[in-house]
Amino acid sequence: MSNIHLLNTRKSQSSEIDSILRNLMSIQGVSAAAIIDNDGFVTHIHRDSEVNTDAIGASVQVVFGAAARSAAHVGHHGTNMVICENTEGYILSTPIDAGFILALVTQRDALLGRVRFELKETIPVLKKLFSSYLAN
Amino acid sequence: MHWFESQLLALNKLADKYVVSQKKPAANIVKSSADMRESRGQFIEAVQALVDNVSKVKGIAACTAYHDGLILAHSKQALNIDAFGAAVQESLHAAQQSAEMLNLGDIEQIVIVGTTNKVAMLSVGPLMLCIACPKHINLASALRQDI
Repeated sequence: MSNIHLLNTRKSQSSEIDSILRNLMSIQGVSAAAIIDNDGFVTHIHRDSEVNTDAIGASVQVVFGAAARSAAHVGHHGTNMVICENTEGYILSTPIDAGFILALVTQRDALLGRVRFELKETIPVLKKLFSSYLAN
Repeated sequence: MHWFESQLLALNKLADKYVVSQKKPAANIVKSSADMRESRGQFIEAVQALVDNVSKVKGIAACTAYHDGLILAHSKQALNIDAFGAAVQESLHAAQQSAEMLNLGDIEQIVIVGTTNKVAMLSVGPLMLCIACPKHINLASALRQDI
């Protein structure tokens, strides 16, 4: 495969990842959608207000890791989603592939079922996109 | 066919279309992702439209849609949506167990009638559509009314 073809494939995959985040942002109450790598760095983000991306990235990785460890302590293997319910809203985080996590920040008026449904349906697609993206 | 039946039929078709889009072999991941997103968007929009329309019907107290017992869409007048969702999920679970014992097949509808109100739960694709109204309302004829 030529380098130009690989470059075009990566570009279209990256643009599709952006479209997915934009689509998640269109859900009522969602204020930020981010993809965070294994080290807690934000690789893609869409947000409707100023948020500290470094802080979000690091804390989502820490919270997800802690939740996964506590799940393992009670014999639950494989954490599919972590939901933090806060006074002002929710933070939902879901693993994608190779340590990447999709995180959504919502306001209190977000419909949890709507956001969770969209996340659950989006993850298999993101997994495919990421495995192909990382392989190229 | 009245508006509710035809809208419900359209919704089921959109749910099927979405399932088909998920199962399509993905030679082009980007295109299949965009197709799935579009089908899902159409399905969710149709769910919200149906919920809005049902809640306009005279005599209907509230209309909501749930996924795994969590709220996905609701009419403006819906109250206690989280508690309602938990009850829906529990009812579905009990109904599924009974359906299995009685060989009924997949659950299509559950109706709970109390002394003052009643709730109808309809399975639509991966969701449960719930319609609440006072006990004396005949839901079938109420939903035949033009909105």
